[in-house]
Amino acid sequence: MALAMVAIGETRTIKELRVKEEMKRHLQDLGFTVGEKVHVVGENASGLILLVKGARIALNRGLATKISVA
Amino acid sequence: MSYTIALAGNPNCGKTTLFNGLTGSKQHVGNWPGVTVDKKEGSYKKDKEINILDLPGTYSLSPYSAEEIVARDHIVKEKPDAVINIVDGTSIERNLYLTMQVLETGVPTVIAMNMMDEVEKRGDFINCQKLSEILGVPVVPIVARTGKGLDALMEAVRQAASEEKRSGQLKVFGEEIEGAVEEIRKYLTEGTPEDQQWTAIKLLEGDEIILDSLRPEQADAVQDIVRKMDSRYNGDTEAAIADKRYQYIGHVVKKAVRRFQAGHTETKSDRLDKILTNRVLALPIFAVVMYILFAATFSENFLFIPGLPSPGVWLAGVVENAWGALTGLVEGGLTSLGASDWALGLVLSCMDGVGAVAGFLPLVLVLFLLLSFLEDSGYMARVAFVMDRIFRHFGLSGRSFIPLLMGFGCSVPALMASRTLENDKDRKITMMITPFMSCGAKLPIYLMFAVTLFAGTNKTFIVFGIYMIGLLVAVLSAFILGRLIKGDEISNFIMELPSYRVPTLKSVLIHAWEKVKGFAVKAGTIIFGSTVLIWLLSNFNGSGMCGMEDSFLASIGNAIKVIFIPLGFADWRASVGVVTGWIAKENIVATFGQLFGGVSDEVVEAVSAGEEALPAITSVFTPAAAWSYMAFNLLCMPCFAAVGAIKREMGSWKWTLRAIGYQMLTAYVVAFVIYHLFGLFY
Ligand SMILES: Nc1nc2c(ncn2[C@@H]2O[C@H](COP(=O)(O)OP(=O)(O)O)[C@@H](O)[C@H]2O)c(=O)[nH]1
Ligand SMILES: [Mg+2]
Repeated sequence: MALAMVAIGETRTIKELRVKEEMKRHLQDLGFTVGEKVHVVGENASGLILLVKGARIALNRGLATKISVA
Repeated sequence: MSYTIALAGNPNCGKTTLFNGLTGSKQHVGNWPGVTVDKKEGSYKKDKEINILDLPGTYSLSPYSAEEIVARDHIVKEKPDAVINIVDGTSIERNLYLTMQVLETGVPTVIAMNMMDEVEKRGDFINCQKLSEILGVPVVPIVARTGKGLDALMEAVRQAASEEKRSGQLKVFGEEIEGAVEEIRKYLTEGTPEDQQWTAIKLLEGDEIILDSLRPEQADAVQDIVRKMDSRYNGDTEAAIADKRYQYIGHVVKKAVRRFQAGHTETKSDRLDKILTNRVLALPIFAVVMYILFAATFSENFLFIPGLPSPGVWLAGVVENAWGALTGLVEGGLTSLGASDWALGLVLSCMDGVGAVAGFLPLVLVLFLLLSFLEDSGYMARVAFVMDRIFRHFGLSGRSFIPLLMGFGCSVPALMASRTLENDKDRKITMMITPFMSCGAKLPIYLMFAVTLFAGTNKTFIVFGIYMIGLLVAVLSAFILGRLIKGDEISNFIMELPSYRVPTLKSVLIHAWEKVKGFAVKAGTIIFGSTVLIWLLSNFNGSGMCGMEDSFLASIGNAIKVIFIPLGFADWRASVGVVTGWIAKENIVATFGQLFGGVSDEVVEAVSAGEEALPAITSVFTPAAAWSYMAFNLLCMPCFAAVGAIKREMGSWKWTLRAIGYQMLTAYVVAFVIYHLFGLFY
């Protein structure tokens, strides 16, 4: 399912990054790799706040729908 | 020996703090990404032979936005004698990703394990000795904020630079990828073996900048190899390489890091975020924060207590009084020395001009103190995120919020901060509207009118109103320009949120002081120079000294004033003000001070008594015309320094002229509308 659907407090594993080449690279640089765990710590109208590899990262809902998790 | 040492690391890992600690300089530290967008140089304070370079933060050596290219180019092209790679110990896995790439370049490297105070507070343990053994480079624990460990760090750096000690080959990628790297290397002829190694890895990662720099036959051969690897790794060798790096890091961390608590435990930052980025509360809280910021700077009824001046207003009064006293002394002194009339006139006129600016300095100081406190706390990154939703409606991303907010301080650094925007269209639009955010130098203009023409009205209201006009015009402009400028739609927002930190008094003071110093220097140089010029032009004409109405300046002003008839301020002095404002916006009040006579003393009394200060202005401006004049100067072409920044950042005259053209047109239209609209009410 899409990362955008994950509820606060849950931890999921990244399955696929369905974004353009450059964005994919940037996501990887920030620790978003397939198989990596993401923990959702917050949410608001703009998007989600995640913990990835010990760093706190905010992303908008549009981007979060393009990341599939399981 | 003299060495050049570069500081590299992720955004917010503490590079600038370390840079300031090592060099004793006073660069701006801020707890949000994009504060350092250009490289800064200094020398180590304990050994002037060692040059230290602060680079913009970057997550990897594959650049994503413009300022990241600066960091990469420096490391791989200019080749410092050593790199200090700063690692934020509180998110070591992610930070080590850049480390892996720095080590791949083969530059002598020392790792500075920063934020050790926070690591300890969490009860975690990082075995730097062990890390150093595995990675093959020195790893020194430091606390950049207090300066702990810096001597040991520099000792390691000196050694690494003099021995040109490189990390050995780490076995990161596994045979298959290493094999492909070797194969690509055969086609590379330039550079040292380390360069070739790094270039080959980047080519395998699909780096377009490097691929484009190859000769056609090289590029073909390389692409063949990359294609072969791609079919092996599901079409994504790049992801496979990233994976291998992270796997290696995972293995390193397992050996060298012990966590007090596995998994995630709620931190202070998480709890704050629950409130400050809350779906419902985030925007109201931001509005209150901004209001407090303005009230503490401008309000005469601070905290809603009638008659209590805000710290800014109170300080302004003190400076005005001092300047008034000084002017009195100078006048007395010169008269007793028997100075001629024109010398006395020149000196006093310049003192009025510069004093009009100096008097507003305290307000600027307070505004900057508060802004830098906010910046350093980590709150700004949150606001950018919260704003993303709203900005999107106008075709911008939340990231644009950062340069725009900096614009309230000064347009020049704000324009530079727009480099952090990765989308070109987003960047262009942001730069065109950044000057609409009223900068500190424009503030005196509004205050001048507020105390003279609108003495009965709440001053905070006038100032807040004009800032809102700027904001509104900016938002509408983003909307319009978004339709006029071609480019990719802005779609994604992603940004690291640093931990909340209590700002250090030192960094807040440093930042505010730097800004105020900049203003003071400007008052002493550009503005002083302009006041002399204005005095000369306003006291002479072709036949010698004359009355102001017959002066050169009056003829110049009279020639251009027709343009402003539709805007309600067709006066030669007002017209001259617009022009001197382009040299520096503070000049407008300085010019008014000279041409309408002695602003400074009267303003003090007006501030304290709340009465009218410059009767001469009242004869020229109706209230509606004053609003129109304030709006025009807010929106029209910014000062030349900002125009220069637009030119540098746009990189083209065509876009610079488009930006100025748009600003001029907007200023004219908005001022026209305001004049006629407000005329109905006043
Ligand atoms: N607790 C703690 N905070 C630090 C340390 N070093 C830097 N900081 C804070 O981290 C934030 C980012 O620092 P800065 O030097 O601007 O990072 P840069 O973006 O890498 O230049 C600031 O709020 C600093 O005060 C440290 O050793 N310990
Ligand atoms: Mg910095």
